[in-house]
Amino acid sequence: MTDPLLKIENLRIELKLRSGPIPVIDDLSLELNAGETLSFVGESGCGKSMTALAIMGLLPEKVGSIGGGRILFQGNDMARMNPAELRAIRGNEISMIFQEPMTSLNPVYTVGEQIAEVLRRHKGMGQADAWKRATELMDAVRIPNAKARVGDYPHQMSGGQRQRVMIAIALACAPKILIADEPTTALDVTVQAQIFDLLRDLGRDTGTATILITHDMGAVAEMADRMVVMYAGRKAEEGPVEPVISHPRHPYTKGLISCVPHLLAELTEERPDLTEVPGIVPSLGSFGADACLFASRCYMADAQCRNARPPEVAFGPQTSACWKADIV
Amino acid sequence: MTATLLNVENLSVRFPVKRRWGQSTWLYAVDDVSFEVKRGETLSIVGESGSGKTTAALGVARLVPNSAGHVVLGGEDFLKLEGEDLRRARAKIQMIFQDPYSSLNPRLRAEAIVREPMDSIGTAPVEDRPARVAELFEQVGLRPEQMKLFPHQFSGGQRQRIGIARALSTNPELIICDEAVSALDVAVQAQILNLLRRLQRDLGLTYLFISHDLGVVQHMSDHIAVMYMGKIVEYADRLSLFNDPKHPYTKALLSAVPSVDRARKVERMLIPGDPPDPLNPPKGCRFASRCPLVEDACRAAQPPLDPVGNDHRVACIKAS
Repeated sequence: MTDPLLKIENLRIELKLRSGPIPVIDDLSLELNAGETLSFVGESGCGKSMTALAIMGLLPEKVGSIGGGRILFQGNDMARMNPAELRAIRGNEISMIFQEPMTSLNPVYTVGEQIAEVLRRHKGMGQADAWKRATELMDAVRIPNAKARVGDYPHQMSGGQRQRVMIAIALACAPKILIADEPTTALDVTVQAQIFDLLRDLGRDTGTATILITHDMGAVAEMADRMVVMYAGRKAEEGPVEPVISHPRHPYTKGLISCVPHLLAELTEERPDLTEVPGIVPSLGSFGADACLFASRCYMADAQCRNARPPEVAFGPQTSACWKADIV
Repeated sequence: MTATLLNVENLSVRFPVKRRWGQSTWLYAVDDVSFEVKRGETLSIVGESGSGKTTAALGVARLVPNSAGHVVLGGEDFLKLEGEDLRRARAKIQMIFQDPYSSLNPRLRAEAIVREPMDSIGTAPVEDRPARVAELFEQVGLRPEQMKLFPHQFSGGQRQRIGIARALSTNPELIICDEAVSALDVAVQAQILNLLRRLQRDLGLTYLFISHDLGVVQHMSDHIAVMYMGKIVEYADRLSLFNDPKHPYTKALLSAVPSVDRARKVERMLIPGDPPDPLNPPKGCRFASRCPLVEDACRAAQPPLDPVGNDHRVACIKAS
C-alpha cells in the first residue's frame, strides 16, 4: 500500500467571531490517492469550500485559521509551511478552479498571458516558450481556433470557454491535485457535460487526482470514485460512490439523495412528494457541540444523538458518523 | 379534457441593442412563440441561459415592453389592456421570483409584503385583508408570530414562502414561477417544491414554471416546452418528453444531465460549441450549427412546430 498523495488528519479550522473561535471544520480526516477523483458533497455552509481553501493555504486572513491537525501533501505538513513554500506548491502541484469563471480571471490581461504566467512562474519558461505552450494548452482544453483566441480577453469568451481557460491555467503545470470548487454550477447543463468530459479526459492523461466540490449528487455519481458527505463542518459519511449512493449509512446522505427529483431511466405517472429534510443547517453557535449536529433535522434522533458526538463506524469501505448507522 | 386557461399566440419580445455609430438593432429574445396552459396544470418552459424562457414569462406577465402577439387569459387579451383595466387584470397573473433575497423589500414587514398586492390592485375589501394575510401565512407554512418580522430575519426557504404567499394574495388564475427554487439548497428546494405541489392540489392553481433544472421540471410539470434561442423546439406532455424526446436538442439536453440512477445509461450526446449570435440568428433552424443530424434543408428554412403525436409537437424536419 502506497502512501496517499494527500492526507488530512484531524483538521480543525476556526473562524474568529466576536463570541470566540468557532470550529467550522471540526476534526476532519481524509485521504486522497494519486489519480482518483474524490467528491465533497453538502449544502452551503457545510465546510466543503473551507476545506479546499485550507488545502490551498488560502483561508481568509484574520478570519479563518487552522486550529489543529495536519494537511500532509506527500508527507509534508502544509498547515505549517511558510508562504514561500506554499507558493511553490500552489498552482504548480496543487491547483484550483473556481465556480465563477468570470471573476476568477483577470479582466485586463489576455487569457494567453494568464496561462503563460503560471508557466513562467513555476516552470521558469521564457516568454516565447510559455506563449507557445499556452496556445497548446488552449487547444488541449478544446477551445476552437486556439491560435487566434489566445490573445483574447476574458470578456470576449463565453462562460464555458472561460472555464476552459481556468482549467488550462490549473493544469498548465500538470499538478498532482486539482481542486474543482463547483466548476460547473454557473454553467448550462450541456456545457457542464462538455467540461466534465474534458476534466475526465485530462485527468486520465495527466494522472491528476481531483477533488470535486459539488452539491449535485448526479455529478458525483458521474464523476467521482469516492465521496465525502459533509455536514456542519464534520464528515457525515465517506466511501466509494456506488455503495454510498445505493445504500447510504447516514440519514443526511439519504436525505440529500432523496430530496432531489432525479431523471430516471424510465419515467412513470407516479410522482410521490419529495422526501423533505426539515429545518435548516444549524447556526454557527452550535458548531463544536458534543452532539450530532444533524440531530435537529433527523427523523431518527434520540437523546444519545443530542448529547454525544457520534464516532465514525465502518461498513467495509464506507464510514458513517451516526449513532444509528447500522439501522439507517 | 381540461379547459385551456392561458393561450399564448405568436408572442415575440424584442430588446433594442445599441450598435456602433449610434445605430441600434433589435434582439428577438422570444420569437413568435405559441403555447397554451390548461387550468390546474403546470406548463414548464425549459432551456439554457439565453434561450428566452424567462423573457417569455415576463412577456406573458407583461413586465417587459416591446411585446407583440396575444396573451389570452379568460377571453381577454392581456397585451391589449391599458390603464385601470390592466391594473385590475394583473391580479390574475402573479409571479414568484428566483432570488428570495432581492425580491422582497427589506424595509417592509413580512405581513406588509404579503398584503401589498391586495392594497395596490384592490382585491379583497380593506377590512378583510389582515385575516387574508393570516390565512396565507398558514397556507405557506409560516407561523403567525413571524408576520411582524423583516425579510432579513428569515432563512432563504422562508423568504421564498413569503414570496409564494404574496403571489397567492390576489387569488391569481396563473402563477409564474421563474426559477423559483434555483437559489435554494437542495433540502430546502424539496420543501418548496412540495409546498408548491400541495398548494396546486388544494387550491387548483395553474403554474407556468420556468426552470433550467430538468430534474425539477420532470417532477413538477404536466406539459413541457423546450426553448432554444427564442423558439420553442419541442412541446410535449411529461412522459413523452422525458421517455421519448424527438428534437435533437432535447435529446442532447436530457443526455447531458448527470443522474444517480445507474439504470439510466443514456448515450451521451455532446453538442459542441455555443449557440450562435442572437443578434444575427441563422436563417434556417437555429440549432443547425450544433446539430449532429444537420443537412442542407435545415439551413434553408425554419422548421415549423409540427405535431408528431398526441400532444407532442417538434420543430425539426429530421424528427421522424
